[in-house]
Amino acid sequence: MTIGARIPRVEDERFLRGEGRYVADIAMPFMVEAYVLRSPYPHAHIRSIDASEALALDGVEAVITASDLPDDLPPIPCRIPTHGDLGPYLQYPLARDRVRYVGEPIALIIAKSRAVCEDAAELVEIDFDPLPPVVDPEAAIKPDAALVHEAGNLAGRWGFDLGAVDDALKNATYVVSEKFSIQRHTAMPLETRGLIASYDVGRNLLDIHGPTKVVHTNRNVLAAMLGMGEAEIRMVEPDVGGSFGARGEFYPEDYLIPFAAIRLRKPVRWIEDRIEHFAAINHSRESAFEVTACADAEGMITAFDVRLVTDMGAFIRTHGDVVPSHAAASFPGPYRVRNYRIDAMTVMTNKTPTGTYRAPGMFEANFARERALDRLAAKIGIDPAELRRRNLIPADMMPWHVGTESVKRPTIFDSGNFPHVFERALEAYGWDAPIEREADGWLRGRGICALVEPSGLGPFEGVRIEVDQHGYATIFSGSSNQGQGHETVLAQIASSILGLPVEKIRVRHGDTGIITFGGGTYASRTAVLGGNAVHSAAVGIRDKALKTASAKFDIPLEELSLREGEIWHGGKNEPVISLGGIARMLMPGNPEFLKPPSDMNMPDNDGLVVTSYIRGVPGGTSAFAVHMADVLVDPRTGDTRVENYFVACDIGRQLNPLIVEGQLIGGVAQGIGGTFLEELTYSEDGQLTTGTFADYMMPNVYNMPPVGTLVLEETKAPGNVLGVKGVGEIGPSGVPAAIGNAIADALKATSGLNILPLTPERVLAAASTVERP
Amino acid sequence: MTHHQVELTVNGSKVSMQVEPRQSLADALRSQLGLTGTHLGCEHGVCGACTIIVDGEPVRGCLMLGVQAEGAEVLTVEGVSPSEGLSPIQEALREHHGLQCGFCTPGMVMALHHLFTITPSPSEDEINEAISGQLCRCTGYQGIVSAAKAVAQKQRENRSHDTTVNGKENSCRSA
Repeated sequence: MTIGARIPRVEDERFLRGEGRYVADIAMPFMVEAYVLRSPYPHAHIRSIDASEALALDGVEAVITASDLPDDLPPIPCRIPTHGDLGPYLQYPLARDRVRYVGEPIALIIAKSRAVCEDAAELVEIDFDPLPPVVDPEAAIKPDAALVHEAGNLAGRWGFDLGAVDDALKNATYVVSEKFSIQRHTAMPLETRGLIASYDVGRNLLDIHGPTKVVHTNRNVLAAMLGMGEAEIRMVEPDVGGSFGARGEFYPEDYLIPFAAIRLRKPVRWIEDRIEHFAAINHSRESAFEVTACADAEGMITAFDVRLVTDMGAFIRTHGDVVPSHAAASFPGPYRVRNYRIDAMTVMTNKTPTGTYRAPGMFEANFARERALDRLAAKIGIDPAELRRRNLIPADMMPWHVGTESVKRPTIFDSGNFPHVFERALEAYGWDAPIEREADGWLRGRGICALVEPSGLGPFEGVRIEVDQHGYATIFSGSSNQGQGHETVLAQIASSILGLPVEKIRVRHGDTGIITFGGGTYASRTAVLGGNAVHSAAVGIRDKALKTASAKFDIPLEELSLREGEIWHGGKNEPVISLGGIARMLMPGNPEFLKPPSDMNMPDNDGLVVTSYIRGVPGGTSAFAVHMADVLVDPRTGDTRVENYFVACDIGRQLNPLIVEGQLIGGVAQGIGGTFLEELTYSEDGQLTTGTFADYMMPNVYNMPPVGTLVLEETKAPGNVLGVKGVGEIGPSGVPAAIGNAIADALKATSGLNILPLTPERVLAAASTVERP
Repeated sequence: MTHHQVELTVNGSKVSMQVEPRQSLADALRSQLGLTGTHLGCEHGVCGACTIIVDGEPVRGCLMLGVQAEGAEVLTVEGVSPSEGLSPIQEALREHHGLQCGFCTPGMVMALHHLFTITPSPSEDEINEAISGQLCRCTGYQGIVSAAKAVAQKQRENRSHDTTVNGKENSCRSA
């Protein structure tokens, strides 16, 4: 069986040799380059735009502003159900008479080179009338706040009220109330975005290279915005340098570049630079929680009462309010808490719009909940692990209905033996092992975070498998790949059914021209849904091949089997026929039949081809994970050093342990960035002040502790035949909680460490609250 | 804008490029010579994706101008890849899952190539230092460091089996 094999990836060779083909590596004859002129103001009226000097510059082809776009152009829609109507907050591709964040597109400049575009941008005269910017979400919802949109700064207020929270609070023996805030930061893939659009005017065909993540959805959105048929547009994903949720959503440029290609009737290429990327890509994570958690005398958690304020930025983008929605739906985590209330507010500000980043809402909620639980454990006077142990949802209560919903789907933890996995995790890490509390004036602490990571969400996924006459199989997948390793793992699944080596199985993905429908890649869904679709289609190929061989050679079906790409009859030494041979027999117009079998034209075979679409389980599937860390803290300086990091998880079944480990460790690295380093900060006047890699610090090799993993295949996901659960988002999801708890443990601090990132200043502030000898 | 003719050696071949004075060397290699293995991740010298070797030293291709490369010897990822398959460094990165999206990978390969050129069997500290200027957003670096350690180990083993030639140890340029 190839499923579960720890094999290196088939896609690696081209990347290692520098032969990956990313969007900036693609060029076309007569191609021109585009540049997006962006707002330098966070909030201003646009009085006038004069592009005449720019247009006069040699090499400039066009300067497109909002007045050049169709009057009836709709804004970019949400692609996900939202809490209430967020229509008034949607973004148009170009600002019309007002800008609302630094970086908002105002004009598209097209010229023979990017450099000439930038020269021209200097010559565009825009008369702005600045308005007061709204930067802080708490200030934004005060009655006298300036308005980002006429519809009001409070875009949504909603929540859940389950059980009897007030009674639980009244009867509780232990209560803690804490405020937490998670800073604005984002995915920051190493490759910036880019698009190249070309238009065939005679045939009304539009080709776009560069989209990723949800190409079918984006194609349909673009078709509606341009008034074209869906099949008249082809979106093709090249190699992609990371997404982590942010890249591949439908952004203003995803309309503007194709629009320009149609208007100019020339291929138009836009390659975002890093400075643009900082202001233009969806930001994420900025949220504030107020958490009251309470427990009875036995240390059973009796309620969570939560207030959540999420900064949405200046517009609602394609993700709608999915980030706070996921946070609210899953806040109670892996604990059997039936009394749960949350009051969630989504707030507009004059900052870059927001969307998802790996473990959206979960990173945030896990930090707030798990830090609060450590406070609760301290108050009760029990070990943090013991509090969690007492409250984990037991296996016999699965599936666990949280009682909430997100994006109109119920939040259900489908399966798992949380207590068992928890004990395995503690044991593997050595949670109870003694800890040397001091070393050279540094203090050592140990922290934990338990979490549930939902995955495999979204309505469906599909693949088509085709086998050619030489015995090569190709999987045409509806999902997209930004580095995760789909070309290997999807091939492994097909290989395990067809018996072909993975080298004979090609995987193509992210292309609306190769498969009719596709869900795309988000919510750790490809292994769960795409994998299920590959399995189903491969089984279909096997069955079709065996039936064809049975009929052709007159051998009972039950005496035939498929092994190593060939069909075998019982104990015979020679295969009956190869898979390629069957593919040849099933070709329409099969050359073996020189004469038509009747005097009439008739339907013919359609090849050794099977298409399979899989409808997703409404609640997806959920993986349980435990993060643990040992951290050294210098109470004199606030400096910290993570000595050891560990993630244990139950993901049902591993498709490729090498890739699973890579996802976990790489995810932890992003979590470490979010815990200590990364922050998109704004000045009071609404300017992004960490807009380069010199200011926005991402982890380098020195920031990484050794990361250990324990990957269990304990409880198969009941909703898919492979039993797999998503692994991609477990890595970052628990990092700030486990590390925050470890630092608090080191310092024996009973306040502070609730604001991310955990900078030396904040650690020092927490240290200073504790009296030391 | 005027163009300048620049003559240089790239991956062992003498070439000539027409560059604008403001064009970076990385840009010129990509657009003039089609050497798209050199990636641009930030264009302000931090991420290291554009790392190439110029006259024996690792250089940010985005911070050096094309016109500065007159007469230089430039080595890119295309130049360190064998005609088929993978070099020992590249193979180790694959074995140890030292890459995911592949975007930082050419820069990482070049940084390690340089390390193994000057230090045939580097220590873990030397490996960390060599890649400390290379950002990778996907892997968390663990696989990259493991790969480099494995190559270093192999080099040590090879060296201990090698006989010395003319009193000198064989250099390990094969990495």
